[in-house]
Amino acid sequence: MQIRVDFTPMVDMNMLLITFFMLCTTMIKSQTLTIALPTNEKVQNEENMSQASADDAITIIIDAKKKPGPTPGTLVVDSVNGNVVNEIYYYDGKPGGDAGMFGAGGAVLSENNNLKKSDLLSDEVNSVGDHKARGIREIIQDRNKAVLEQVNALKKDLADGKFGSLETKAEREEAMAKYNEAASKVRKDENLKKPVIIIKSTPEASYRGLVDILDEMQINSISKYQIDNLTDADLVMLDDYRKHHNE
Amino acid sequence: MGRVKIARKSTFIDMTAMSDVTVLLLTFFMLTSTFLSKEPTTVITPASVSTEKVQETNVLQVLVSPKGQVWLTMNNDTSAQWSNANMRVALLDQVTEIYNQSHKSNPVSFNAQQKQAFSKLGAFGVPLRQMGEFLNLADEGQEGLTKMDEWLAGEDGNPNHITGIPISKENSEDNLNEFQMWIKAARQAGNDNLSQAMKDGMGVAIKADQNTSFEVVHMVMDNLQTIKQNKFTLLTALKAGGE
Repeated sequence: MQIRVDFTPMVDMNMLLITFFMLCTTMIKSQTLTIALPTNEKVQNEENMSQASADDAITIIIDAKKKPGPTPGTLVVDSVNGNVVNEIYYYDGKPGGDAGMFGAGGAVLSENNNLKKSDLLSDEVNSVGDHKARGIREIIQDRNKAVLEQVNALKKDLADGKFGSLETKAEREEAMAKYNEAASKVRKDENLKKPVIIIKSTPEASYRGLVDILDEMQINSISKYQIDNLTDADLVMLDDYRKHHNE
Repeated sequence: MGRVKIARKSTFIDMTAMSDVTVLLLTFFMLTSTFLSKEPTTVITPASVSTEKVQETNVLQVLVSPKGQVWLTMNNDTSAQWSNANMRVALLDQVTEIYNQSHKSNPVSFNAQQKQAFSKLGAFGVPLRQMGEFLNLADEGQEGLTKMDEWLAGEDGNPNHITGIPISKENSEDNLNEFQMWIKAARQAGNDNLSQAMKDGMGVAIKADQNTSFEVVHMVMDNLQTIKQNKFTLLTALKAGGE
């Protein structure tokens, strides 16, 4: 006599359990972005204050796009993914340039407004596969040319195997460690001309905008950047910019 | 005329092999799965090119809702001495001590049963004044646990029940708000590994939704800065495509 056990119910049950575990698991682990902020304490003497020279400083302001019309304050929401749409503004050096944004008696000097609008765009890739930076990335890359040239040279060295072989995993990690060390040395090199970026954000702008800009710092090898509070001059410039561009 | 005889075959399919495969798959999923921990609010973290992996142990996670409520989750070592249960009790003791220093006339205290209930919590975040009432719910068994989850999610319909650790925009080192007390307590709770991780910046992770306004995130950052927790990490998702 032949004994056969019907396994069909067993398979059914297993499939159900698999489905349960598949739905309950988190396969993708989160990544992190490390940031260090300066202390909140008031700096007592001027010497200890970190100063950026006006030539090097770029201020980036993130603002949420608002609907035009009689009810200001309504944020524009992306129709596809429902995210808040952010806008990027930037200016070099001091707000309003050397002359400043305010004239006699606190009058706003529109002609001094050095605020410009930019976009947060990824690289444009042409048919040959070359990358071309656009929007705010292009501006940052232009200012950080000296550092980026050397970092890109190091990247090429890494690909050419000058930091060691890339065959096995252990070798690859070793080469990467060497490359990272060399690259961080270049990024912090005091002799190279590099920008100091001050990141500001209006209260309405979304958190995603901040992370996007912090990403740009990483992509473009910016070593000196900080998150700062909006000043009155910044707000005046934003208002003035919108007034003159009918936004 | 003879009929063509069709051989009757059994339709029985041997499912043994199929069963083997499914059991293997099941084992794989059971071993690799880490269960989604229940969180008071669902957030979608923003995408970033950063490839740094998130710390699994010795990390204090600050969950921020778009409305500005905050909850904390503490993950410690797996060692017995600093197990999550032990550390949570130590943390609660520590925060009670800090809180009572500034509320001498009206101190809060927790009994052993309440501490026991606290040690089993995942994410936590109710004002310390209501913590006792919140933890007492755990005595009601499964029903109580559901009530606790609903309280944390702000869905229990009781307007007196506040969810989220009290946090304020205006803050100073002399007048700490409860959120700052919790962070301070975590630093002082006795787990050196956690304290060190917090000093290095890897020990505090902010998890916020991508559409949270900067105002809210900035408030949390500012609170951390005031108590000299200047380094921390932001939880992000991996951006497809990278650079």
